[in-house]
Amino acid sequence: MSYAYLFKYIIIGDTGVGKSCLLLQFTDKRFQPVHDLTIGVEFGARMITIDNKPIKLQIWDTAGQESFRSITRSYYRGAAGALLVYDITRRETFNHLASWLEDARQHANANMTIMLIGNKCDLAHRRAVSTEEGEQFAKEHGLIFMEASAKTAQNVEEAFIKTAATIYKKIQDGVFDVSNESYGIKVGYGGIPGPSGGRDGSTSQGGGCCG
Amino acid sequence: MSMEASELQDLSDDADYAASQQQGSASMMRCDSSKRSSPSEHEDAELIYLKDNVAIHPTQFASERISGRLKLTKQDSILFLSWIPYKGQSSNAKLSEKDRSLYTITAVPFTEVRSIKRHTPAFGWQYVIVVQSSGLAHPPLYFYNGGVREFLAIVKQHVFLARSAEDASVFLVNDFQSPLQRTLSSLELPSSLPVASGQSTYPSDGGSLNENQGRTSSDVGNRVSSLSQYGLRKHKSHDPTRDLSIHLLEKFSLVTKFARETTTQLFSENNGFGSADRRWNNQPVHSYSDKLSNIAEEKHHEISHSYSENDLLKDEDISNDIDVPADPLEFNKLSLVWGKPRQPQMGSKEFTAFLDSEGRVVESKALRERVFYGGIEHQLRREVWPFLLGYYAYDLTYAEREYLRSVKRMEYATLKQQWQSISPEQAKRFTKYRERKGLIDKDVVRTDRAFEYYEGDDNLNVNSMRDILLTYSFYNFDLGYCQGMSDYLSPILFVMGDESESFWCFVALMERLGPNFNRDQNGMHTQLFALSKLVELLDSPLHNYFKQNDCLNYFFCFRWILIQFKREFEYEKTMQLWEVLWTHYLSEHLHLYVCVAILKRFRSKIIGEQMDFDTLLKFINELSGHIDLDSTIRDAEALCICAGENGAASIPPGTPPSLPLDEGILYPQEDDVL
Repeated sequence: MSYAYLFKYIIIGDTGVGKSCLLLQFTDKRFQPVHDLTIGVEFGARMITIDNKPIKLQIWDTAGQESFRSITRSYYRGAAGALLVYDITRRETFNHLASWLEDARQHANANMTIMLIGNKCDLAHRRAVSTEEGEQFAKEHGLIFMEASAKTAQNVEEAFIKTAATIYKKIQDGVFDVSNESYGIKVGYGGIPGPSGGRDGSTSQGGGCCG
Repeated sequence: MSMEASELQDLSDDADYAASQQQGSASMMRCDSSKRSSPSEHEDAELIYLKDNVAIHPTQFASERISGRLKLTKQDSILFLSWIPYKGQSSNAKLSEKDRSLYTITAVPFTEVRSIKRHTPAFGWQYVIVVQSSGLAHPPLYFYNGGVREFLAIVKQHVFLARSAEDASVFLVNDFQSPLQRTLSSLELPSSLPVASGQSTYPSDGGSLNENQGRTSSDVGNRVSSLSQYGLRKHKSHDPTRDLSIHLLEKFSLVTKFARETTTQLFSENNGFGSADRRWNNQPVHSYSDKLSNIAEEKHHEISHSYSENDLLKDEDISNDIDVPADPLEFNKLSLVWGKPRQPQMGSKEFTAFLDSEGRVVESKALRERVFYGGIEHQLRREVWPFLLGYYAYDLTYAEREYLRSVKRMEYATLKQQWQSISPEQAKRFTKYRERKGLIDKDVVRTDRAFEYYEGDDNLNVNSMRDILLTYSFYNFDLGYCQGMSDYLSPILFVMGDESESFWCFVALMERLGPNFNRDQNGMHTQLFALSKLVELLDSPLHNYFKQNDCLNYFFCFRWILIQFKREFEYEKTMQLWEVLWTHYLSEHLHLYVCVAILKRFRSKIIGEQMDFDTLLKFINELSGHIDLDSTIRDAEALCICAGENGAASIPPGTPPSLPLDEGILYPQEDDVL
């Protein structure tokens, strides 16, 4: 399917907070409690519509364990958006947010849009981080914030789309030079034709034939 | 003299080189070159390596040590070594000018170096001894800041370095009496090869070391220089070894030439995989090769299909316009000649034939060879894997193995007891334990749960996996637990069944692959580095492509190496691959050749579509489930043989799964928790 823009997202956060489940819920609209742990990175993609324009999200779902941080850092390059995820039932995953944020700030482009997600909000009875704390952290660090549940799908759609809408607005406001792919945005058919040729050129001309 | 800015930029793609250039350029300018012509006098000398605080110890007195700077420079594709003592150092006050010139090494070309002896003690300074062809041995060069291995690794990038058979710490430089030579010489191409006119006079006998063909025509020279990155250089002298190197390279270039012809036709016909095998009509491998290419073609389409569905690129738009550099080995064809066909899996009866009456494996190499070429029937794996992994020594009898198992069972129980006896009260005060247990608990239920053996709630095998991993994290507390370990353990537990036996097999495997999980990722980086060197050796156009596209870190192969392709093949195929890798039959590092084999199979797609890092990473990820194992193993075997000692020399000593070089602390941690 053709798209006006393609945004690269990266999902980061401690291991076991539900990154892969959020991705699966968003791309396949299902919750799969039994899935293999992520080694390295996995990919997902989905089309959404913002301002009547088709936008393709290409999402990189990363491994969360500390040992893999050095490799995860290489995935930030060229990401337009990041979902920084913690688990509201495990305090330590919230405590580690600052170090994730530091990585993101250091290795991603400065205009990357970051959405903070407190996942597993269906497990309210085991809550270890209050909504207010999440809000406060997001406010302090200039992030968008939502609590969500990959299990019930609550706010999952919204989180991905709100992030995209923010990126889209930044494009409209001229924050990005969309012809520069290091911002994690590619222009496709129906978008603003960028000066960059090659693949993008062929993609936009190819139009409707794109898979 | 001065370095031109443009020369510095030449290497700017390579961060390490660029950094060393920047550090080194200042010293290049004031390089002492009074004695004779030094390469650094010339504008085109390239600084390859610079190391400060490298010293010689002329006497036993610390006050008389002379510190200096070690450098490697390159000019006209010849590598030079220099060591210049620092001037005006107070500690060198006693050093007279005479002493200084006595010890100074001014630009010795590596064509005149016979060997480098490496000494890397666990304690004390590392040093190297450089011996020249004339027999002159320079005094030991002590690396006060360490880095001998790095030094040798860099030398290896530029000259042909082979480990001496007599002394493992000695590396022979440009030693052409090595197995590589014999290997290459023995690679007779089929006599029915359609060699182009004017090229049909290649010597068919590659055996004699004294053979002096004296081929120095420009034609030969051109083809030789195309392989100059292999560290073998053309020379006009009559040194027999040099002529031999030319002779060998001719063999290579014959291969290349033939392959290129075939490729050209192939590309004009089919844009990738395909019908070229018809040219092999006279080959006995014909039917296989047809089959293989059909498989490859199918896979090719399958992948490009699923790929274009998900992504931004349309491959049919592209490939025709991009000029994909020819594969220097065109290994799709060569593998059919060199990589032996896979045999049926070894069965019980056949295995018994390897044992003497008391159950010892008489010829372990023959057994490993058999497994290498065919793998093991599933029911038999339980008996053979412990040997391959190193848990059983090959010379144990039935009775001794039985005894070992019982001793190890008790030992396992004791180890397991260590964490089982932690009370909830103790656990409250034991964060590290709680963290590890939490992580393992989370991960074992996310490991191969779709596979029958581990599926369902309250699966006892999942519990065993948890117990083994937790016990291992106590057995090897320094390494602990890291994601990916459960991927290794899963097939082992499935095969061995027994918890204690699985544990000890896992321990044996981690002796070699534990460094994959080092917190500093050093084991992984070493392997990725070695992989880049192998690709450079076996497919320099692909290497150059990666270099130009900022992909030289090879992170796109991270998952392949971390868990040895566990996520790339289905379960049974993974076990087949692992037992082949564990034989260490041709190389301890066959897995790296497997990486090269897969990359080469898709090189025209990678280059043709001009994949950038992100696209490449995604592409490689999505190859999972689409790689044909048998042909990949054959290709890897062919590449390993083809690379020979030169390939081995591309892999730094101690690279996992080689056993660690130094005794002592196995997993140094910056861990401040305990």
